[in-house]
Amino acid sequence: MSETITQQALRALVDEWIGAGTKVAGPSYVKKDLCQYVPLTSSAELLLEGFIHPRNSVKDFFFPRHEKIYEYTLKGHEVELADMTPASTPQVIVAARPCDTAAVAILDAVFNWGEKDEFYTQRREAATIVALACVTHDSHCFCTSVGIGPDAEKGADVMLLPLDGGFEVRCLTEKGKTLFAGRTQPSDKTAVIPEGPKVKVSPEQVRAALEDYDNPLWKTATLRCLSCGACSFTCPTCHCFDIVDEGNAHGGCRAKNWDSCQLCMFTKHASGHNPRNVQGQRQRQRTQHKFRIYPDKFGEVLCTGCGNCARNCPVSLGILGTLVELCAEMPKTVGESK
Amino acid sequence: MIEEIRQTCRTLLEAGTVNVVIAYGQSNPDGPVHPIFVTKPDDVEKIVWNKQCFANLTTYLTRKEVKSLGKAAILVKGCDARSLVVLVQESQVERSDVHVIGLACEGVGEPELAGKCRVCEVHMPVGVDVTIGSTEAAAPEGQNRYALVDEFMKKSPEERMAFWKQEFERCVRCYACRGVCPLCYCNQCIVDKNRPVVIDTSATLKGNFAWNITRAFHLAGRCVSCGECTRVCPAGIDLRMLNASLAQSAEKHFNYRAGMDPETPPVIGTYNAEDKENFIR
Repeated sequence: MSETITQQALRALVDEWIGAGTKVAGPSYVKKDLCQYVPLTSSAELLLEGFIHPRNSVKDFFFPRHEKIYEYTLKGHEVELADMTPASTPQVIVAARPCDTAAVAILDAVFNWGEKDEFYTQRREAATIVALACVTHDSHCFCTSVGIGPDAEKGADVMLLPLDGGFEVRCLTEKGKTLFAGRTQPSDKTAVIPEGPKVKVSPEQVRAALEDYDNPLWKTATLRCLSCGACSFTCPTCHCFDIVDEGNAHGGCRAKNWDSCQLCMFTKHASGHNPRNVQGQRQRQRTQHKFRIYPDKFGEVLCTGCGNCARNCPVSLGILGTLVELCAEMPKTVGESK
Repeated sequence: MIEEIRQTCRTLLEAGTVNVVIAYGQSNPDGPVHPIFVTKPDDVEKIVWNKQCFANLTTYLTRKEVKSLGKAAILVKGCDARSLVVLVQESQVERSDVHVIGLACEGVGEPELAGKCRVCEVHMPVGVDVTIGSTEAAAPEGQNRYALVDEFMKKSPEERMAFWKQEFERCVRCYACRGVCPLCYCNQCIVDKNRPVVIDTSATLKGNFAWNITRAFHLAGRCVSCGECTRVCPAGIDLRMLNASLAQSAEKHFNYRAGMDPETPPVIGTYNAEDKENFIR
């Protein structure tokens, strides 16, 4: 037995959420050949099939690329500060890919580590994530290599699994149950989800390979990297930010902006010295952070195998290719014996 | 043609004429084509040449990581050769330091040709050391290379502003446009200046307008329309329209097209008493 919803009924439900003032976001074609997760004004814009992965990620709705922390106004010798209230409007992310929802669950750890990031946490608490299982994948996908899969439930409140003409609905949390209460039909059909991409790399083996800090691969394999932030900014788990002050003598704001370890300014000191002065060092850092530093601290790898880094890279240098190359040089037993 | 390319590169590497060949490769036959750096003669077998060879490899000629490899040979299509001309004119590349292998090109992109290739006039690259292959392909007669801009300019200023707002709204400031551009070679980009800040780094509409417009202005009279910025933008922003509009102005007012001829002095770097001044009003 399962609970199901037709595509038509799901779209009607989405329109109802929008009508009730909930912010709803999901995959949509914003222009020809450009599918992104965007705020929706109608369910007609929502894509429920025929796409692999949007060019951006769901993190945009929890950790926006630009966020004001406070505003300041100068009046003579007085400075007035105005706190920004973190957004707590209810939001629903619908048809999120499992690699995106899993990423949100991974990010929870870092945004609640030590100090709680109120901006992130409040958005997160006000959000319900409706995931959509994958029935197809492309050559960039490698979710199964990092412990996720086409119907992985991690981070999701509801999982939609494509069925003929509709979806099997699995409500996984109280939030999810509330959202779909009374909207599903019992059925004797259950969705069968294909296996997903074959396993391409092992995180344990990557972890072991990363012990060799001076691997010559960082000089050769990453030579084509152009030092942009397309990988980090479209990655569902990259979460580094910069704090900037913007404004003039009358007023302005302090803001939190996305930053990327691939940009040369990321580690540049005020003295002019840059400890990661060449691109290979920056590529090494990104890989180290995802497969050694983050797992050591938070217990899981900072990558969900979505493949967006490769899809968006100007020179097709995704992390998967680097990992495969890194492990190819390793004796097979190293990773397994650990 | 591919055998001739590989043989030429092998000979250059074996003779020690160059230390590295900047070329196109493919990690697997179905995978995307990407830039590769060949330093061993036997590795020339990794070089490919097909409809997916979009990249303008000349962007690597000014990068310190690549320069440290020693003297380079580079594969260029006609459009890429134009950016090399500009790099040489702007004293960023010493022409005699690079061995330039021109490739006869009938256009990249399949099943559909890339937009730039449909109006291409440089199927046979100019100013190269050797050309491999030949083609009869030529620009279509009587074409308007600025048709897209002309069409766009028919819209009202409000409509045009609305379009750019919509485009720049999506910019995440990843700087892929800058990274891929052969002519964005500044040691310190203006957007990286933070003492004081010149351009807001925030990906707000204000910051995004400031960044994209400033970059376009800096490419005025220099951009060779290789189209790489537009191809790589993860937010699908139609940057070529900005660049094409400025290229159109350079041609209309100064009869100049960047990178078409190594002997023609760059429009930005020359002064002529006959120059129009109607932009100062």
